[in-house]
Amino acid sequence: MMNFSIWWVFAYYVRPIVKWFLRKTTGLCELQRICYGEISGAPRIKAVEYSLNMSRSRQVIQLIEHLNDVSDNQRFTGANEREILKGAVNTVLLVKNINPRVHYQFITSFSKCLEQIWGYRQLIAEVEELRRTTFDSDNIHHESKLYELWANLMPQDTLEGRITKQWQDIGFQGEDPKTDFRGMGLLGLENLLFFATQYRTPAQHVLSHSHHPSYGYCFAIVGINLTSLALVLLRDGSAKTFVYNTSKSLPSIRLFHQFYSYLFYEFDRFWVECKPKDIMEFSNIRNRFESNVRLVLQDPGTEFRIGVTVDDV
Amino acid sequence: MGFLTVLKKMKQKEKEMRILMLGLDNAGKTTILKRFNGEPINTISPTLGFNIKTLEHRGFKLNMWDVGGQKSLRSYWRNYFECTDGLIWVVDSADKRRLDDCKKELFVLLQEERLSGATLLIFANKQDLPGACSKEELRDILELDAIKTHHWKIISCSAVTGENLLEGMDWIIDDIAARIFTLD
Repeated sequence: MMNFSIWWVFAYYVRPIVKWFLRKTTGLCELQRICYGEISGAPRIKAVEYSLNMSRSRQVIQLIEHLNDVSDNQRFTGANEREILKGAVNTVLLVKNINPRVHYQFITSFSKCLEQIWGYRQLIAEVEELRRTTFDSDNIHHESKLYELWANLMPQDTLEGRITKQWQDIGFQGEDPKTDFRGMGLLGLENLLFFATQYRTPAQHVLSHSHHPSYGYCFAIVGINLTSLALVLLRDGSAKTFVYNTSKSLPSIRLFHQFYSYLFYEFDRFWVECKPKDIMEFSNIRNRFESNVRLVLQDPGTEFRIGVTVDDV
Repeated sequence: MGFLTVLKKMKQKEKEMRILMLGLDNAGKTTILKRFNGEPINTISPTLGFNIKTLEHRGFKLNMWDVGGQKSLRSYWRNYFECTDGLIWVVDSADKRRLDDCKKELFVLLQEERLSGATLLIFANKQDLPGACSKEELRDILELDAIKTHHWKIISCSAVTGENLLEGMDWIIDDIAARIFTLD
């Protein structure tokens, strides 16, 4: 509580004084100082985000509300996106009294930050919509995705039918994967399918680990549990480091799938390292994995790569 | 005073109970637990391993163990039998195809010596779904009347709407309490 109030006093009273002093001495507003001074990627974008959210200017507050509304409704795309970005940058130029001809580099850098910040927010809405879509076995699109998943993971085996024990080979619980998606809905399936198709070799590598006689686990069920983890990290903002450092343009669902694939690959490695006694250690190892990932995401400098290690050769 | 009496006395002091929730996969065990604990239930994934929650209810401390129900996990159920005061068997009343499987697994459990003193509550879950069996139908299909070794009761419920969850929990707590906390 004490800690909190000191922080509050600092943010409310001391910060504006420091900002005013820096503005007078450098001749640049805080957003400019960030865009010129911070390393691009997560460090810069997070600093811009913080600065905007702390702003007490009425116009900036209104701007933020507007951008929030647009991205929550997934209208931050295409020509609309360019239009909105232009308007947002102009508002800030006006409010902060910045000369666009002198500071054209600021405009480029600042728009990129805005694109990422509200692209992230839009991504949450997009992912959430997919999660709310329940897997429906009467929908041919859903069904064909399920078959596609099988074909990509088990190219050498053909499915004997729709309801079959074979689904357990790729780690579903029973004879019909339908009920396993549960609260993760279509998002769980799309995640698995992306991992299996876009990261073929790593996915095969992970799948073969899941068949290990002593450290084996249920591939698909672990995958669905990791969808849930990826979603939690996206929602609470921890995944910003990943998105801001990886994304080159407007964040899309692809990026979420990539984040998921990264988690799956890393989880598999961690699981094998832990040498679990049996599958009942899953909750425990999952929780430890989550804290490790959170630690990695706390460092804004982290870059993320899915690499295939030597034992694949 | 034997060891068991001491153990019972200690439990009595804390009014602590250990409750084990089992059932086939997709029966709704985790959803019931989360619902009862007032947590959101729309983002649940299949349980691998187990969840444990300690809840306070009517002055009792309930240690609730929710163990995954898929076939490959059932052999691990026995690791959780020790010191169980109450067993909640959760049934997906709408999954008629697997009721036979459900009956078999339940009767295997009831043979278990370490569960012999435990109170048995059967939750006929998913009553909100169309085509769900009523608790009377389940009583016949699962041949519950053949159970002579345990105090048991079947209660129809829905974890999604929350219907009858409290009633079920209250019954199992009362039954356990009557058995272990009223010795002296």
